[in-house]
Amino acid sequence: MTLIILGLGSSALAQTYNTFEPSKTQFMLRGYGHTGFEYLDTGGEQESTFLGATFAPIFLYKHSDKLMFEAELEFELEGNELKTGLEYADVMYVLNKHMTVRAGKFLLPFGTFMERLHPAWINRLPSRPLGFGHDGIAPASDIGVELRGAFDLGGPKMNYAVYVTNGPRIKDGSEEPEEAGMLDFGYYEDVNLAKALGGRIGLLPLSDSSMEWGISAYTTNSTGAEDSDYKDVGAFLWALDLSYVKSITPLQGVVDIKAQYNSSNVDTATYYEIEDGISEPYSFDNQSSSFYTQLSYRPIMSGSDFIKQLEFVGRYSDFNAPEGAEWEEKSTQYAFGLNYWLSWRSVVKLSYQTTKMEGGHDSDGTTRTNGLFVHWAIGF
Amino acid sequence: MKTTTNFKAAIILSVMASIMVACSSNKKPIATDTATEVAGSEVDFKIEKSGAQLWGEVCNRCHIAPSPADYNDTDWETISLHMRVRANLTEEEITKIETFLKSAN
Ligand code: HEC
Repeated sequence: MTLIILGLGSSALAQTYNTFEPSKTQFMLRGYGHTGFEYLDTGGEQESTFLGATFAPIFLYKHSDKLMFEAELEFELEGNELKTGLEYADVMYVLNKHMTVRAGKFLLPFGTFMERLHPAWINRLPSRPLGFGHDGIAPASDIGVELRGAFDLGGPKMNYAVYVTNGPRIKDGSEEPEEAGMLDFGYYEDVNLAKALGGRIGLLPLSDSSMEWGISAYTTNSTGAEDSDYKDVGAFLWALDLSYVKSITPLQGVVDIKAQYNSSNVDTATYYEIEDGISEPYSFDNQSSSFYTQLSYRPIMSGSDFIKQLEFVGRYSDFNAPEGAEWEEKSTQYAFGLNYWLSWRSVVKLSYQTTKMEGGHDSDGTTRTNGLFVHWAIGF
Repeated sequence: MKTTTNFKAAIILSVMASIMVACSSNKKPIATDTATEVAGSEVDFKIEKSGAQLWGEVCNRCHIAPSPADYNDTDWETISLHMRVRANLTEEEITKIETFLKSAN
């Protein structure tokens, strides 16, 4: 009897103990959110608003030491509507020391901003630089397959990524005439047989990994539907990126520099403009570019606990859309920010931003927009 | 226009491919002198960095580095695999950092 009880007891004990053993299958629910207040003055017209919170849950499912799934959902209030999105959902498998394969919908390593820096708790400013996001020229995510990996070059390091995806669709102007000739990277359904091919090479020349240079390219032979006039309109994009993060003792803090240049070349095609009921053909040299550079500084070696948590940020960005397009535009923007870090993944950002835009598809002439933002972002 | 586009694409992609090939065929440490051979061919002569130092250098590049105490061992395993892929880190970097994070939390 005693033996049985003892036996039962020890197996119960073993079972309890077992729940503390690390499981091979691991699941994490994380994500981020942000909320804030914005005041905008667009050419003398003012508006102000509290921002509906954005909530982006991220699901990480680790199946084994090599196999993993990641997915991010996005919930955002746009006006009175709840907008939802699937930011990414992909599976990855470590093939060997130097190569991992990913498949599904993933963030594209075209430069670094979209893949590495855009989440609200990582981005040092409340806004994105010009050229990224809605109507931007840099592809953000797509559906396909990717190989990536890294090499140690005995101090310096190198990393690479190459991918094949469905590719963008060209806006032919039939739905939105003022956007004719723009590439729509948010159109995930494949409109033709051609795929987009892209890649990035990153080089970290210094042994302390403080600096990284990256070059990216992205190309497709066709952006139009298989049976359309735009079938043979191809596109070629490239980008250069730089990151430098270093703790500098004489400056008593961490200096962080980020920059990215994007260039987009779409083959010339004919679009139609309806004027007085008559359809007029027109065409233009479809080249766009954008650039940003950002400098931030955190005085982490300061003696004061308050000053230690502060961060000062400045960013310049510009965007040039093709001359002759309905969306012709030349914009420059300066943004300045003061951040207070509550923890490594929660930050209150106060920023002022001024944008000068010539053209743009809503207006001719020059528009100046000044904005004041207070955002609170948290990653979890 | 189209041909120049494809031509440029071909150049850039082939440069990328050749860098990749060059690096993959070059990954063995250059160990020619006898001392290294005695120590074993896999021994690298550069000064080995500790996991703690790598954590300080690597994990601050995109966001502020979390400290070991922020997660338990199980979560660090998941995060390490996630960051290895997302940040395109070398196996050596992530293995050392993961060991450090799990030992110091
Ligand atoms: C190249 C940029 C980059 C580097 C270097 C980097 N991270 Fe990240 N990290 C990210 C991004 C981007 C996210 C957000 C992922 C998302 O939300 O999609 C993230 C998220 C995280 C998270 C939240 C949980 C998760 O897995 O998403 C943790 C914890 C984290 N990183 C830890 C680390 C550690 C530890 C290191 C050093 C080994 C590191 N990071 C290096 C870019 C980077």
